[in-house]
Formats: sequence, C-alpha cells, structure tokens
Amino acid sequence: MKRSIWEKENSLAAAMWNNGKLDFPVYDMHGHMGPHNAICFKHCSAEDMVAHLKRAGIKHLVFSHHANLLGFMKNESVVEICKEHPDFLRMYAGIIPQQQETIKSDLAMFDKWSPYAVGLKILPIYHNHKLEDKEYEYALSFANERKIPVLIHTWGNAPECGIYETICKYPDAKFFLAHCCFGAWDYAARCVNESNGNVWLELTAVPGERGIIEKLVEMVGSEKILFGTDLPWFDEYQAIGGVLSADITEDDIKNILYRNIEKLLGTDW
Amino acid sequence: MKDLFFFDGNCRIGDNLEKMPGTKELLAEMDRYGVDKALVRHNAIAPGGAAYTNENITELLKEDVEKRLVGVWSILPDTCGEQQEPDQFFKEMKENRIGAITLSPVQHHYIPRRNVIGKIMDAARERKVPVLLNAFAEKWYELYDFMEQFPDNICIYTEACGKWGYDRYIQPLLDSYSNFYFGTAGYWVQDGISDLVKKYGAERFIYGSNFPRYNHGNGMLQIKHAGLKDEEIRKIAGENLNSLLNGADL
Repeated sequence: MKRSIWEKENSLAAAMWNNGKLDFPVYDMHGHMGPHNAICFKHCSAEDMVAHLKRAGIKHLVFSHHANLLGFMKNESVVEICKEHPDFLRMYAGIIPQQQETIKSDLAMFDKWSPYAVGLKILPIYHNHKLEDKEYEYALSFANERKIPVLIHTWGNAPECGIYETICKYPDAKFFLAHCCFGAWDYAARCVNESNGNVWLELTAVPGERGIIEKLVEMVGSEKILFGTDLPWFDEYQAIGGVLSADITEDDIKNILYRNIEKLLGTDW
Repeated sequence: MKDLFFFDGNCRIGDNLEKMPGTKELLAEMDRYGVDKALVRHNAIAPGGAAYTNENITELLKEDVEKRLVGVWSILPDTCGEQQEPDQFFKEMKENRIGAITLSPVQHHYIPRRNVIGKIMDAARERKVPVLLNAFAEKWYELYDFMEQFPDNICIYTEACGKWGYDRYIQPLLDSYSNFYFGTAGYWVQDGISDLVKKYGAERFIYGSNFPRYNHGNGMLQIKHAGLKDEEIRKIAGENLNSLLNGADL
C-alpha cells in the first residue's frame, strides 16, 4: 500500500493526525449551542463545546444559540455566554424577521457587544421568509453600512430564496453562504463570482463529501471559502479531517481554515 | 499511521445508470487515506436487483489482485424459489470472497419477516454471517420490526441516511440487541463516538466511510481523535469488523 496523506512528512494532514492540532489557529465560522428538537446533544453547553474547541485547536467559534434562533433567548443573553469564554466564543446576533422591534433594539446595542458580536445570522427558510423580503431590510442595511458579516443559511433551494438578488443589493455587507447552497454548487459559485467581491462560501456539512471541496475550490478559489462545522452538530475532527482529505493544496487548506477570515476580520478579534 | 489497521465496513462500487467508481478507483482511494481493507457492496443493489449485482460485484472483486476487498451479496425471499438453498449460497459466497449479506426489501418488493426470509436468515444466524442493514433508509419502523423478527442475527447498521446524528433511533437498537453493530459513516455529532463507546463499549462500532458519497479520511481522523483509548480506536478502525467476518462459518 502506498503512503497515505497522514504519513506525508511535514504535511498538515500528518500534523493533525499525530498531534490532534495544527500549528496555526483554526476559525470555525458557523456554530450553534444548546439543545435542539431534532437531535440528541450530550455536549451542547458552552463548557463542553469550549473543551472540544480547545482540544481541536480552534481559536474562535462564531455561533448563534439555538434558543436565540428559535425565539427563546435574547441576543444580549448570548453575549453573556460569550463573556464567560472570552478567548473562544464569538457570536452572530440572531435576526428573526417576525420580531422587527427586537431587531432594531438589538442592532442599536450591537457596538456595545463588541468584541463578541461579529455579525448577523439569518435563516430565511427556517423563519418562513425569503432573503429578499422586506423584513430583512433593516438588518441588511445595517450590515451593509458597517460592512460586517452576515451568515445566511442556504441549501439546494437557494436559487428560489432570493440570495443572489439580495447580495447584489447590499454590496458592502460580507455575506457568508452557510453550507455553500448545498447541492446547488453552480448557483453558489455564481453568487461568489458575480457579486461585488463580498460573498464567501462557508463549508458546514460539506467536509467529508467526496470531491465537493475540490469542486468548490476550482469554481471560486480557496480564497473565497471559510471553515465551519455547525458545532455541536458536527465534530471538529470530522470537519477538519474532511478539509485535509480534499485533494487541494496546503495553501488552499490554510486559506480555508484561517487565512481568509484573518484577512477579513484581522487576527485580534 | 500504519500501526492502525483500518477495515472500512461501508463501501460501494460498480456502475448504476451512471458511471460510478469501480474496484481500481476504490483501491486507489484506500491507498490515499491508508485504508487496508474494505467490505464492498454494489452501488446498484436497489434498482439493479440481487441477481445482476451479486454477479457483477463478484466480477469486480476479481480486479482486486491483493484481495483487500470482501464482497457483500443480496438475499431474496425464500418463498418464491429465487433464493438458493443456504448451504449452496454460503458455499458460493466463500468461493467468491463474499463475507456478508444484505437485503433491500422495500426496493425488491417483499416484507422482511420470518415467513418470507426466515430460512436464509436463520442459516445466516447459525453461521454468524453478518447482515448489512443498508435497506431501511429512514424507514425506522420497518427496521425495528426486522430486528424483532431476527434478534439474534449479527447485524451491522451501515446506512448514512443523514449527517445529523440519529441517536434517538439507534440507541434503542444498541440497547435491545447485543449483536447489533453500528457503522460510523455519517455519524458526525460532536464527541458522539466517545459517548457511544462509553455507553456500549468499543466492540459495538465499526468504521465506515460510505464511499463513494463520502471520502475515507474525514471519519478516520474523527475516530483517531475521539478521545478513546488506543485499543478502543483499534477495535473500531478495523479489528471489530475483521473479527466478525473471520467468525462467520461460510
């Protein structure tokens, strides 16, 4: 049997295999926290998740709490969770289109939540909306003015959800397309390649899918791809393993795991 | 790396209506990731049927000159005269390097109960031939019913029917049937493998990739760093499946 990727001297894959960590910071740009109706989570508390992040060498997890996205927890409560783990946790402020007054009052507080709140999280399908609906205009205008990240849940039905039209309308917001419009890869690539340079593909649920990261790198370039896991839905080792398993260059891997987000947000956030 | 023996319990090869990876492609990818052996079934079992795919997987295995692959054959109901007598069936399995059986009752239009497949399933139980449960994609009631019918067969759950952990479905089966084994393909929940091992022991879990849908490497790294003891990792990576296949009396 030939030498495997895990045995290639001085490679990232060998380092991760042998040490369980890489020698650079990894940023997980898509996480959650807390129980969820659809799944049994044994380790969804902040403490358990941070322990997992430490073990896997993750510098920051940017998350939105399930309870917040489901309307049971205020964004300011999520900030308090971050404060208990200031070295690891950052958050997206959840935007619920049915709660317009809360959106305005929360965004009025956004600056005071620094450095914990780094952007907004929008789940159009889960909240029975399209991204182009007027209920998102206030939040997206806010993100556009401040040039901050907006993590948008996407899947294969993204072409029906007004994603492309919206990212063109807000050319200064930094759009992270969660799950890379899973399955609608051509559409995801179009969103990146025909935008104002303000769109990145976020990998949650993709690492491990055979050949897909390779395809995305070819379509949009590794500079436009960010790492994410949906933690605690997916294990950091599985997801990093999926990136390391892709047949791409080590520069591509570094771009995905840390360089791209450091170019966007810096190293001290 | 090579102190760890990986035996992938969940691989598929062979064309369906589209061109799909075959023997050489699978072996090349096993080399890339350091997978030593693999249990392989045909990609087209559900639409292609048992007759064609059993024959074709046998042919595909002949391209594996180093004998790193072990095949899986589909069974059919005993009642319609389509299923060979068990002794002959298992004899031919052994002659063709086939180590396990599987079934696709939904797609092959039969009910997987004792009065339909009891003869071949009882023979498989007596001979300790593993049964791959890849046929009940999200049809959990049917899988539960099947396990009630055949509680003592060695069964390996290999379906990767979604990557969003399904402990609420799987753990009752692990609780109820000591011969029920769980393949890790697509089970990606944070720290999930270590939780399962703590509860059930490493003996109940089998590394699987779900090739060609998923690559081999992601699940290998997940197991390697699941926070388990070295002997637990070795069991899940390859020893458990190797023992089950070697324990079959074909």
